[in-house]
Amino acid sequence: MALLAVVALTTLAANGAARLRSMSVALLAVSIAADVIAAGATTPGQLAVLAAAGIAAAGILFVAARDGHYGEDPAWRVWVATLIAAVATPVAWISFRSLTPEAPDIPLVGGDPGNVIVQVAAFWLLSSGTAILITARHAVRTTLGALLMLTGVQLLIRLAPGPQIELTVAVAWLEVIVALTGAFLIVNERALRE
Amino acid sequence: MTLADALRLSAPLALLALMAPVAFAVRKRVTVAALLTLGSLTLAAVSVAIAPDDASDRVLALSLRLDPLGRLAAVSLLAVLGAIVVDVWLDQPAYNFFPIALGCGAVVLAVMLLENALATYAALLVGLLLPVGTFTFQIHSNRSVEAAIRHFAFVSLGGTIGLAALALAPTLPRDQPQTTFVLLLVVLYVAFALKLAVLPFHTHAALLAAEAPGSSLALYFGVLTPATVIAFARILEESGLLPQIVQLAKVQDLLLGMGATSAIGGALLATGAPDARRLVVYSVISSLGMALVGIGTFSGPGIVGGIAIAIVTGASATQQLLAAGALERAAGGGPPRAARAPLAAAAFVAGGIGLIGAPPVVAFPGRFFVELMAYAFATWLGAALVVATVLLLFAQLRIALALFAEGLPSWRPEARPVAGMIGLIIFAALVVGGFAPDVFLRPIAAFAEDFLRALRPL
Repeated sequence: MALLAVVALTTLAANGAARLRSMSVALLAVSIAADVIAAGATTPGQLAVLAAAGIAAAGILFVAARDGHYGEDPAWRVWVATLIAAVATPVAWISFRSLTPEAPDIPLVGGDPGNVIVQVAAFWLLSSGTAILITARHAVRTTLGALLMLTGVQLLIRLAPGPQIELTVAVAWLEVIVALTGAFLIVNERALRE
Repeated sequence: MTLADALRLSAPLALLALMAPVAFAVRKRVTVAALLTLGSLTLAAVSVAIAPDDASDRVLALSLRLDPLGRLAAVSLLAVLGAIVVDVWLDQPAYNFFPIALGCGAVVLAVMLLENALATYAALLVGLLLPVGTFTFQIHSNRSVEAAIRHFAFVSLGGTIGLAALALAPTLPRDQPQTTFVLLLVVLYVAFALKLAVLPFHTHAALLAAEAPGSSLALYFGVLTPATVIAFARILEESGLLPQIVQLAKVQDLLLGMGATSAIGGALLATGAPDARRLVVYSVISSLGMALVGIGTFSGPGIVGGIAIAIVTGASATQQLLAAGALERAAGGGPPRAARAPLAAAAFVAGGIGLIGAPPVVAFPGRFFVELMAYAFATWLGAALVVATVLLLFAQLRIALALFAEGLPSWRPEARPVAGMIGLIIFAALVVGGFAPDVFLRPIAAFAEDFLRALRPL
């Protein structure tokens, strides 16, 4: 449960960051928290891939910023995105949970019986990312929304049957491609503004 | 052992994926990068064309299989991609286009060969993001960056919610309420609609049509959009969701309703298109709507027609977009006129015949099948598709007449008739296909059989 709070807070930090470098650091924190949540349902090899993808994506955005001042002020969008995510997460969890209807016993610190935390964190990240993407006007927040959603997808894939390591690698590559595309657009947009 | 047996199925895929960074390294030497790209695309297409039927391979735990539709679509789309590369090389050199073309080629092959729905979808998403690098040009004099950002947002949103839906689908218990499956399928459909730019998710396509270079539009609407329609059908088949879909009339109604809306809406937008490029893009949106109606009928002829429409639409749209680019360049800022580039104008008009689906081009049987099945499903649906086709005919005629508004003093071709020649070659191939439609439609019919088997398992 505590990890869920960490994911929520780091997501809010990324959502509220007005500077790209702060946003990339917060994004890395979200990625690490998501990896820790998924650790119980993940092999060490997969964890290494997930960590590498998170570091690469955050690193690409950090470098794309070029200095500590560039970014996009979210203004009112941070509240709209948070509100949408707060409403959509429980709705999505109730609609799509793959768990038994009994109320699960979740400790404040420690294990995640039935992968409840994994699912809730995934839905939170997907909802937050969707809300950020829908309200984004420029490349910085568009990239953030897409990367948060992909972090949520990585969590959902932990629970899906199939070739886990291959799917993890595929989505990790996707994260890197999204970060590179976002960085390319951020650089172009900055050139245009300046 | 023949050469075809000795080659692994993953070899052409690996070739294209590995050559993309090499082309990136030599991109400033345009001729070298173009020849490398063309050579790799040709080798990959030939490898797929000569591979044995039902050839299979494994990359780690992911299985690849070559079915007849995969072979047809891969060879057709790689050929169209090769035509765009030739146009970029000879007519409008853009050095960053070649590595992206190779990456898109690899994605097309991955989508046609992979058997895992999630992996196919992830590969498709990579492919739809790659053209962003070609959309932006002369950024201080146009809105191409804004168009690229909007495309990035739509594809990312559609891509990630689709991935999430596919990851969730196999984890849901079978005793879930029907509304859960309806919701999941709606999410999956919206995910594809965002990527295909069908109505009402077409706003990024409209901006792209106005601001991005013609060759990039051809890459997106001529190669990646048909690959997305085929991926949609394949992913539905592989996801295991089809038996649930067939029991839910609401889902089928949604597919048909959204498809018909896009067919009519795209055609209406095409009739008011202010320029040739937007005409092509709206015509593609309309044709994709028709393709979705075909797949949504869940009938053999409908699926065959839908996929045939997608492939032919890609080829015809490429023909028209390259020709439109050549006409714009020849006009030098003024209104495009046939007098300045007669061969490109001829290719543009011929491309319109393919997009409308008029005989004798191979587009005709696909449209005929879909309209037939739409009428069998509901009279209003069939009538809607016929109205959409008539509107498209009107729209194409309007722009064609504008091209010839100043008459045609001479049929002498323009100085560099690259787009015109490519367009006429594509048109000739579609006409030849029209005289032997069986060669084109039989591989799609084999896929339709598999699709129907997955829809109603024994």
